[in-house]
Amino acid sequence: MTLFRAWLAGLPAYLWSGWGAIASLFLLLAAWEGASSHYGALILPDPASTFATLARLIDSGAAWPELVVTARRALAGLALAVASGSLLGLAAGVSMTASMMSRPLVTVLLGTPPIAWLVLAMLWFGAGDGTPVFTVFIACFPIVFVGALQGARTLDGHLKEMATVFRLPLPMKLVDLYLPHVVSYLFPASITALGTSWKVVIMAELLSSSDGVGAALAVSRSHLDTAATLAWIGAVVGLLLAVEYLLLEPIKREVERWREVDHEHA
Amino acid sequence: MNTPELKMRGVGHAYALKSVLEDIHLDLPAGRVVALVGPSGCGKTTLLHLAAGLLALRTGAIENGFRKPAVMFQQPRLLPWKTARDNIALGLKAAGLPRAECISRAQTMGHTVGLDAQALDQFPYALSGGMQSRTALARALVLEPDLLLMDEPFSALDIGLKAQLHRLLLDHQAQRGLAVLMITHDLMEAVRLADSVLVMASDPGRIAHRIELTAPALARDDAFVHRTTAELLQAPTVRTCFGLEVLPPDATVACDGAATVVSIGLAQPRAKKGFSC
Repeated sequence: MTLFRAWLAGLPAYLWSGWGAIASLFLLLAAWEGASSHYGALILPDPASTFATLARLIDSGAAWPELVVTARRALAGLALAVASGSLLGLAAGVSMTASMMSRPLVTVLLGTPPIAWLVLAMLWFGAGDGTPVFTVFIACFPIVFVGALQGARTLDGHLKEMATVFRLPLPMKLVDLYLPHVVSYLFPASITALGTSWKVVIMAELLSSSDGVGAALAVSRSHLDTAATLAWIGAVVGLLLAVEYLLLEPIKREVERWREVDHEHA
Repeated sequence: MNTPELKMRGVGHAYALKSVLEDIHLDLPAGRVVALVGPSGCGKTTLLHLAAGLLALRTGAIENGFRKPAVMFQQPRLLPWKTARDNIALGLKAAGLPRAECISRAQTMGHTVGLDAQALDQFPYALSGGMQSRTALARALVLEPDLLLMDEPFSALDIGLKAQLHRLLLDHQAQRGLAVLMITHDLMEAVRLADSVLVMASDPGRIAHRIELTAPALARDDAFVHRTTAELLQAPTVRTCFGLEVLPPDATVACDGAATVVSIGLAQPRAKKGFSC
């Protein structure tokens, strides 16, 4: 509740600080408009007609169900990755042997392209929700795992001694010492994983599903409907930007107020 | 009820095969301030960790009759995600006191050590080194400890701040009859604050020299501190402990008898060999 209130109170100042970002987005739109008038509407429709197509998609009720399906898959995969990645990462971080053993495995996971996992997933899970959810999970898991591992490994021994000397009981050690430290690693890792999940789910749907934004993109491609393609891309990117900058970034600022960073110029 | 006491008998410690402490005997009754002085790496910190129970005792015996010990470390060791106020309240919270009481007591102690309401609202990164040390001191004192263990807590501060915190500590110590075991490499600090100064030699760490100061700490002025420190620095054992050359016998200043100097029975400590630990 206090977090919500702080989020709400900080919002106007935060939005006001966003003018620079908005200006640079408008520059991008201008470049888009320029490229569109040079190459023609078939190659690159101009922003206005793209947004008109998007508005039509939303008005006709076609957009939301697809977005909801995609979001459900992305979030399911992400939730699985965050849950298992943080648990296993913390467990690995506590033991020196486990963290040394897990390093090469994580490098293998991070190095394997998601498209390779997607092909395997299509063989294993077929055309249902399983394929995109699994692909998202396997792409996000190592990111969260590494965050949790580092969080557990980097805990300051000096602070642990301090906690012992001041006789902190175990629940208090967990809440006041371990948790804030680990969260300071897990939270940014989870945000990175969210971005990855959103990208990977659309790729997975494009190749494997009959519904969701990825499937809609596949349809608009087969119709050579560039405007609809761009409209879907706009919807996906817009949604991710909104979640990241209107929800997560303000929360991050509130939660990590104790960090030594210059927020004004960050 | 007996007055509590911290007693060490024949305490030793070794890391792997390297012996860092040997045969330490020490008595710290309630209300006394004992300073351990010695060169870097002579095992002072190890000794303090043994007293605080952070290291398992291997050799000798430690009897700690104090019920509420508190420790002040070399670095402030504040939790970076808690405000100064919540950091001060940490030990109270650990003791299970209600939140409102923790906060009000932390606040009062914060004001006592010279932190205003604005500073108490800050996170540690926003505080200067001096304010962080004040916070750490307040965090220890707010527990109303009967024994305070300090590991070079003021070594990073400028002399003005050091003097202020010394005064705060001495006031508190005098009011509450606190026993203090402090570690420092600053002889002057030891002479200013302590009732007994124990000088340690290194390789392995042992107590080589002891002086008892009879004047009450709050009554000592700068002149006394300078004179006594100079006197202490002329003792051949002390000079050898710190790796200084021993002075020729005629180069001594007059001693006014304010301090009793006792060289402990050990033969001359071996000269410091290079650097250790």
